Amino acid sequence: MVPGYRLRFPHDEGSHPDFRLEWWYVTGWLNEASKPLGFQITFFRARPELNHDNPSAFTPRQIMIAHAALSDPFRGRLIHAQRAARQGFGLAGADRGRTGAWIYDWRLEQAGDSYHARITGRQLSMELGFAVTQPPLNQGQEGYSRKGPAPEHASYYYSLPHLKVSGTIARDGAPKAVTGSAWLDHEWSSSYMAEQAVGWDWIGINLADGGALMAFRMRDQQGGSFWAGGALRHPDGRLKVFLPDEVRFVPRREWRSARTGTTYPVSFLVRAGDREFAIEPLFDDQEHDTRASTGTIYWEGAVRALRDGKAVGLGYLELTGYWRRVEL
Amino acid sequence: MLSIRGLSKSFGGARPREVLRDISLDVQRGEYLAIMGESGVGKSTLLNLIAGLDLPDSGTIVFNGAELTALGDTARTVLRRNRMGFVFQAFHLLPHLTVAQNVALPLFLNSADTAQASERVAAMLAAIRLAGAADAYPRELAGGEMQRVAIARALVHRPLLLLADEPTGNLDPETAAQVLALLREQVKGESGAGILVTHSALAAATADRVLTLTADGLRPAKKEKL
Amino acid sequence: MTAFARAFATGRWLPLYALVVGPFRENPGRTVLAIAAIALGVALGVAVHLVNSSALNEFELAARHLAGEADLVVRGPRAGFDEALYARLSRLPQVEAANPALELDVPLAGRQDSLKIIGFDPLRAAQVQPALLPERRGLVSDLFDADAILLSPAATEWLGLKPGDELRIHVGTRTLALNVAGVLPQGAYRQRIGVMDIASAQWRLERLGRLNRIDLRLNSGTDLEAFRRALQAMLPLGVHAATPETEGERGANLTRAYRLNLDMLALIALFTGAFLVFSSQVLALLRRRTQFALLRTIGVTRGALAAQLVAEGAVIGVAGGALGVLLGYALAYYALSLVGADLGAGYFRSIAASLHAEPQALALFFALGVLYAVLGAAAPAWEAARRAPAPALRAGDEEEGLRNLRTLSWGIAAIAAGLLLALAPAINDLPIAGYVSIALILLGAVLVMPRLAEACLDRLPLPSRAPAAIAIAQLKATPRQAAISVAAIVISVSLMVSMLIMVSSFRTSLEAWLERMLPADLYLRAARFGETAFLTPEEQARIAATPGVERAEFIRSQNLLLAPERPPVTLLAGPVEAGTVEKLLPLTGPSYVPRANEPPPVWVSEVAADFYRLRTGDRVRLPIGDTPLLYTVAGIWRDYARQNGAIAMNRGLYVQITGDRLVNDTALWLAKGTSLADAQRALRGRLPEAAIEIATTREVREISLKIFDRTFAITYALEIAAVLIGLFGVSVSFSAQALARRREFGVLRHIGMTRLEIGAMLGCEGALLAALGTAFGLAVGWVVSLILIHVVNRQSFHWSMEMQIPWLPLAGLAAIIVAAAVATAVCSGRAAMREDVIRAVREDW
Repeated sequence: MVPGYRLRFPHDEGSHPDFRLEWWYVTGWLNEASKPLGFQITFFRARPELNHDNPSAFTPRQIMIAHAALSDPFRGRLIHAQRAARQGFGLAGADRGRTGAWIYDWRLEQAGDSYHARITGRQLSMELGFAVTQPPLNQGQEGYSRKGPAPEHASYYYSLPHLKVSGTIARDGAPKAVTGSAWLDHEWSSSYMAEQAVGWDWIGINLADGGALMAFRMRDQQGGSFWAGGALRHPDGRLKVFLPDEVRFVPRREWRSARTGTTYPVSFLVRAGDREFAIEPLFDDQEHDTRASTGTIYWEGAVRALRDGKAVGLGYLELTGYWRRVEL
Repeated sequence: MLSIRGLSKSFGGARPREVLRDISLDVQRGEYLAIMGESGVGKSTLLNLIAGLDLPDSGTIVFNGAELTALGDTARTVLRRNRMGFVFQAFHLLPHLTVAQNVALPLFLNSADTAQASERVAAMLAAIRLAGAADAYPRELAGGEMQRVAIARALVHRPLLLLADEPTGNLDPETAAQVLALLREQVKGESGAGILVTHSALAAATADRVLTLTADGLRPAKKEKL
Repeated sequence: MTAFARAFATGRWLPLYALVVGPFRENPGRTVLAIAAIALGVALGVAVHLVNSSALNEFELAARHLAGEADLVVRGPRAGFDEALYARLSRLPQVEAANPALELDVPLAGRQDSLKIIGFDPLRAAQVQPALLPERRGLVSDLFDADAILLSPAATEWLGLKPGDELRIHVGTRTLALNVAGVLPQGAYRQRIGVMDIASAQWRLERLGRLNRIDLRLNSGTDLEAFRRALQAMLPLGVHAATPETEGERGANLTRAYRLNLDMLALIALFTGAFLVFSSQVLALLRRRTQFALLRTIGVTRGALAAQLVAEGAVIGVAGGALGVLLGYALAYYALSLVGADLGAGYFRSIAASLHAEPQALALFFALGVLYAVLGAAAPAWEAARRAPAPALRAGDEEEGLRNLRTLSWGIAAIAAGLLLALAPAINDLPIAGYVSIALILLGAVLVMPRLAEACLDRLPLPSRAPAAIAIAQLKATPRQAAISVAAIVISVSLMVSMLIMVSSFRTSLEAWLERMLPADLYLRAARFGETAFLTPEEQARIAATPGVERAEFIRSQNLLLAPERPPVTLLAGPVEAGTVEKLLPLTGPSYVPRANEPPPVWVSEVAADFYRLRTGDRVRLPIGDTPLLYTVAGIWRDYARQNGAIAMNRGLYVQITGDRLVNDTALWLAKGTSLADAQRALRGRLPEAAIEIATTREVREISLKIFDRTFAITYALEIAAVLIGLFGVSVSFSAQALARRREFGVLRHIGMTRLEIGAMLGCEGALLAALGTAFGLAVGWVVSLILIHVVNRQSFHWSMEMQIPWLPLAGLAAIIVAAAVATAVCSGRAAMREDVIRAVREDW
């Protein structure tokens, strides 16, 4: 991981199999018959460290994992699905040179100026198109995003905010048409977490004025931030990248999951530079149990960004490492 | 032929009692003797001792020159088989043997020659007037007939001594009279001796000599008016 | 309570006392024996059933666990199929998830056994087999290590290994060390298994590119059966799609016949016990009928009397049944922990069954025990109650009571029906008709016995010697009572005899077969257990070139899956050829030499011929190699070694078709003057020591026969139990009779019979009854053995055998039965005479 690498598009939208970890992360708000829904579709690629060169076609050189979740306030908890598979036989994998990740019939792929995602399952199916409306937002130093004091703990990271969403969503039945606005993160790294890190808090907000805000902090064992970062892109395209001490996450309210006994700070006051936003969840129980694929439990949910009690943006909050330390 | 001297017998158990005390008795060949006595006085015990089925506490029994108490069980059994015959109150024919087989039983036991044995059995059956019933089973006979068969069985091997224990106890008076007559006739006919144990004076009257067994011993019966 | 009050109080229970407590007090031995007979029968039934159902339950659990949430299981031969099939099936729109698997029995180093190893994709397990997923997530990534294996708790316990230890296995002739990375969740698996990543399994177990199983989970709304049929059409020959239920059944099918046979043996034991209770009950009641007549005379009604008698039977039944259930449970528990769920037959080696008790089954066996005892009492009770009191009061009336039973024509009809049924085919692959036929013949034998016994006794001359004469006269006069004792002996003797003939025929045939199948001097193979051991062509050449080895013949064994519901058939590729096959295989019929334009020959075992309905001259398409070809069935041979069937073919042809040059077994002929020991030493010097097994012909024979004997150990055990029950019954009936005849003995003592002579008389009676029973038992047993050999065995195990009558053991058995009968008769007479029989004469009736 070195700074100074220049991201090239669309080449860097594809997979980087030499890196240990990579993800394409789409989150957003949808309207289904003018009722709000949150959604998340994520494809992970992981390269296990193998100590052998097994000629078998099943050798798990790359592992693909996908999560999909829908936050419906009427339901009060997530509807989610997950898959994991080893790359091979063309059944699961990630394309190079352009975004294209799939596990069996689940996929996220790039087609010209838009992306297309397909999730199928017994409880949840999604068929969504994402039209690009803004250029990529390179996080950190030109896409080199540090995650800790040591320079090797970092990722290459760009975001695509304000994606225009249209498609269908089916929950236990017939598909219904939805529209909305989404945010895509693409991040790859070989050493994401510093030793002292147990998890992170992250927000990505599509601001109502056309701006985009990303902020995160890395937490240590004591729950304190030992690193932070973020960026704000103004509606006019000006980009403000925040230094670690410019970003603060102040918990306002906690929610405890009865299922797992884990307590999450689901509401924050986030300060980024001279701006301050209150972050309030669409509803509290957006805990995501992905033990069967990534082996962790985290909170990933739709949130509103408020200023002076007024919603100024819609986005997603991710809280990891509250159940146990995240093992990537 | 039979000489008993100083015979005593006691039984232990829950109610120990002395049944026989110092009994002496002589029976001559050809003599037909009746022993009377009340129930429980020891008549059957005396018969058992004479037959060698039981051993006395003291005293001697000499039968046909042999001292019974000095013999082993097998020797006594063989002596009984050869020289004695038994008639019971309840007849005790073996239910699954025919009349002829029942009668032939002692001959079988004494390993008699088959031809002679069947001749003898036929003669006995004729004698008890049941020649026609040779192949019948005991259950097909009337009580008196059964006892006649029992008498035939008791005498078929020409025993020296016939022991009859209340042989008419189960029979009506008329049949009883017939059976008693037959018994006497047969004992006398085979020139053996007979001991008839009974508490029936009528039965006792058919004997040559009547003795009474009491707790004090054996003594000649007072002649009573019958 | 005053004595008077007590007497009054007991008065209410007097009938009960007279009929139940009284007889027991009078003759505790008889009652105890009757209870023991029922208890033993019930215990055997319960034990065998529990062990079987535990094994079966374990089978189902194992199959269900292995299949997990799968809707369909696609299975190929152990050699597997191309992994490309996995990709094809995964892409089917109806398939929600597919999990590829490689399932192999792997020989363990340093242990004469194998472990089932399943290579699978742990990432797919979440959807298809959650039970296979380790609890600790790190284990999944640990599994990606090529040498990592997870063991089930049963396997760790069995192997004595813990995480971090090495598990050493054989692949080819190499020894491989795997690393025990962890233990599967407790309770998920009771089987002994190891789990590896599919990629590691393919690589380490040398099956690159192959799978032998794919589990499919289907999208909701898919018509399972329609999809299965459509899928089957897509699958290559030899690969089958089946539901997990069918999978479970396949495991069960493997042992169904064996289990049925054990169940039948147990039922036979129960039946024998019941019949003995019946006969002893009949005899005891007959002897007591004067008492009953008396009770009737003083005003006990028929119904009350019959009810009391049945109650007496029920008391025996309840006591025996309860005792039997407890005893059976204990037996099953010990059998499972000591011998294993297959009762030593080697069927379910990898299954560690725990006792699986079904209350209904226990209740059923208990009820059967009670029912038999009640029935045993009911028949004579009915007769006793029915008989007018007056004649019944007379001594010797018992026989009259029996005279009314007209059983001859029924008996003949039962035997005829039984013989006809023996010709019926198997029902649902089970020899049910055969068993019914045996039951009918036994029943018929019992029913004809009174007349038969009468006819035989009538013809008996009356000797002049006293004890014998009285004994015979006694029997002649009571043929029907004698027949009951004789029938009891006939039943147990015929069962023993038939088993003895069957087992001896089997063993003799097996010995002859082994002789035929093992013509060489030495046999060398790459591990006896498991499926991953083999000899490479290079090793084969080394073996053939070993000094002292004159000739070496190589055999490759593979397996073929010909039907989804059946276990795979063994394919043996060896030196067989159309012209000379008779020298190598024990053909059961003429061999057929295919003409030049006909498909090449294969020879199928009887089992395979039965399973797949093949006859000599048929053509059959077999999934050997990549493209299934037609073959000609050139002959059918007898094979006792592979109970799922075997197909033999020429190895040259096999190599030509498959390109597979590996072999498993080698038969070696030594040059003159080479000793077995020298040759073995030379061979060991040229091959990896640990992974091969060399045995002389004698050793192979001995091992085979030992396995045979172990398999039949449980049969012997059940048979011994049947014999015991039989002897119980004989002594029960004798002691019942002896007691009833005490007065008779008293009379005989009076008349001048010694104790010895009375003993001799009883012994004579016993000997006669036993001799009659044994003679008829031998005859009936011979007929039953014919049905066992040619119907039951053929339909259960599908292999034929030559009938071989073991004269010496049969003579010994007959002698033992007669001796035992004499001994029990004398003993029961002695026991009856222990009390003062002299006085018994004076007792009134």
